[in-house]
Amino acid sequence: MLFNSLEFFLFFPAVFLLYWALNNTRLVYQNIVLLVSSYVFYGWWDWRFLFLIVISTLGDYYIGKELGKKHLGAAKRKLWLYTSLVLNLGILGFFKYYNFFVDSFIAMFQTIGLPLQHTWTLNVILPVGISFYTFQTLSYTIDVYRKKMAPTKSLTSFAVFVAFFPQLVAGPIERASNMLSQINAKRQFRYGQAGSGIKLMLYGLFKKVAIADSLAPLVDDIFLNYGTMPSGTLLLGILFFSLQIYCDFSGYSDIAIGCAKLFGFELMSNFKFPYFSRNVAEFWRRWHISLSSWFKDYLYIPLGGSTGKTTVTLRNIFIVFLVSGLWHGANWTFVIWGGIHAMLFLPLYLTKTNRKYIDTGRSAKNHYNLADMGRAGVTFFMVSLAWIFFRAPDVETAWNYFLHIFTQHGTGLYQHPLGYRMVDYYVLIIVFFIYEMLVSKDERDPIPFKSAMVRALVYILLCFGLLLFYDGGANRSFLYFQF
Amino acid sequence: MTRFLFRLFLYGLLIALSLELLVRAFHLYTNDPPRFIDEKGVEKRVPGHTGFSVTGNRRQNFSRFSINQAGFNSYREFTPSMTKYDIALIGDSFIEGFHVDYDESTGKKIEREMADTVAVFEYGYAGYDMANQLHLVHAYRETFQQMDAIVVYTDFTTDLDRGAYEPNTGRIALLSSTKFKIRDNIKLLSYVSKIGLLDRILGIGPQGQDMMTEGEKKETDAVRLKNLKALLESYPLDPAKTYFLCDKRTTNRATMSFLESRGFTIMDFGVPFSKSELPTTLIYDQHWNHHGRQLIAELIAKNLNQ
Repeated sequence: MLFNSLEFFLFFPAVFLLYWALNNTRLVYQNIVLLVSSYVFYGWWDWRFLFLIVISTLGDYYIGKELGKKHLGAAKRKLWLYTSLVLNLGILGFFKYYNFFVDSFIAMFQTIGLPLQHTWTLNVILPVGISFYTFQTLSYTIDVYRKKMAPTKSLTSFAVFVAFFPQLVAGPIERASNMLSQINAKRQFRYGQAGSGIKLMLYGLFKKVAIADSLAPLVDDIFLNYGTMPSGTLLLGILFFSLQIYCDFSGYSDIAIGCAKLFGFELMSNFKFPYFSRNVAEFWRRWHISLSSWFKDYLYIPLGGSTGKTTVTLRNIFIVFLVSGLWHGANWTFVIWGGIHAMLFLPLYLTKTNRKYIDTGRSAKNHYNLADMGRAGVTFFMVSLAWIFFRAPDVETAWNYFLHIFTQHGTGLYQHPLGYRMVDYYVLIIVFFIYEMLVSKDERDPIPFKSAMVRALVYILLCFGLLLFYDGGANRSFLYFQF
Repeated sequence: MTRFLFRLFLYGLLIALSLELLVRAFHLYTNDPPRFIDEKGVEKRVPGHTGFSVTGNRRQNFSRFSINQAGFNSYREFTPSMTKYDIALIGDSFIEGFHVDYDESTGKKIEREMADTVAVFEYGYAGYDMANQLHLVHAYRETFQQMDAIVVYTDFTTDLDRGAYEPNTGRIALLSSTKFKIRDNIKLLSYVSKIGLLDRILGIGPQGQDMMTEGEKKETDAVRLKNLKALLESYPLDPAKTYFLCDKRTTNRATMSFLESRGFTIMDFGVPFSKSELPTTLIYDQHWNHHGRQLIAELIAKNLNQ
């Protein structure tokens, strides 16, 4: 079920009303409503893959209980942790990476003159959201193992934590320490929280439908025909994709956080206006925060973080970025994308400027001087160039696209593949950038104006934008569902 | 909670009203002149209506229409001239031409191509099939007898599903129904319906056409040919001045042979369309754009000049 589908517009109000109708009964009833609705939400896509969520839930719940036993020895604790890692990463590895590794293995043998048959390749369907919920459950067992939190006693609560539908298929990847405490506590309907949730949902829907979906055909066209397009158009293609992926994914996150607010939950922020970052390190503090902080806590720090020798730290940085790339998809393009970001991060680390812009919270300054704007522009350009590898279907296409930018000179005006007026899109992009700059103080309040009239005007304009840029023929799925 | 739901409803209403105003202010909606069936059983538009036809969101295509006293979209009234060569151009929405300004229609382009020595009378109506077209010629035979040439635009793959004419009272009733009146009066609804959003909200996706097997195709073509024969039997046309405008690429060969054997001239626009380097149709649908209409006008002018 998609957030921008008819089914969801019927499903969500029904769940919302039933959920709050049970507010004066036992907490477990509300949790059961959330659990059942989450399974319905996921099963709408393909009910057969629900069993993976159930296996992951039961497995980690049991392992958590075992890890919580007081007199368990260190060896046994480690064994239970490894069991959880094997279970979750095994599921993820098989469904997401099995064919990738088999194909890569075969290709490697072919290059050294040992041809192998593709008999080991399987026709595996990638279950939606598998990378998200496996990482979420892993965070629970690791935190219990590290004694950062006590295991939960309630299976229902844990199952809700794993399958909570607003963030089940594309995050934010929540931490058990944040979510389970909320699931186990009595919820109160708060007008301010619900209103803020609706605002986030509207803004997220605008970003998804009006920007990401309307730019999608342009991006597809330019990346498909890059060989015949001048460099100006190729640069336009990466600008469009940068906006498409940001609006698609952050739009989803906004809707997810907004939905959760309507149920009385606060999910973590996933995006903090990343394209206003002044270097790549800041970009990663603002882009897909739930994933980058996951890798920091559960991979970078266990590897030693930046406390050891410089060479070890550099190795750790590379590992984190490469694994982060691979997390996105079973393709070398993603690994290279991660590698490019590692290369961009490296000079910052070596010059000790990686922690220069550490404050991304509400107190951070959002009025840039000219130098800041220049830095943000350069960072945006570098990040956008790296997106080529993220978007291209294979390494060869990505590399050729990259080369064509510098060799295929020309400035011919780009025409929409279906003949629509291009000026509409340029106006949309400029207005969107200016608006994001205006509201960049707080990512959880995209309509922060004090005046009710101004707020109402923004609601109307957002809805009008949705109508103007709605594209009936557009692919409406969210990009990050494939990860 | 009650306060929240109430304010949500209030804001929703305010937004809907504002959107209605914006859609009206920017004329994002399309006008659809009313239809009726006249005393001769001919389906047409109510005379005297003018307005704008809008296609797609953000007014991708915006054009003026003007319904003349005969009930068709045209820049001229139907008074056969004594001094010019009179041409009747009959067809469905492609000839009705709501997709270009009415004074830039195919008829106007033909007149220009023939140095204003001809007068073109356009009888286009969205939804006409062959039965409608031949019934029209028959019902207004006095007018059509004064024409020097009659050009009938036909898509043989969609216009020959029936072999006898009956006025489509069901369609007129449906378009006059409360449901459609509401849609036409609430411009926001009219707009969201036109851009396909209403269908999506109601869960009606675009319907894919079933592919026909070779056997089914042959059977269908035979039925279409039978219908054509029956219609020409009921409403005979003068082959000396009747021309069929069609795309041979999509027309069954037996149908072509039949028309040629009856002495009709076929104007095939498939050739200039396939040679054209510019697009011949609009963005949103397959109706002809200005360039497509220009090619049609050149083809008709060339044939009639011969």
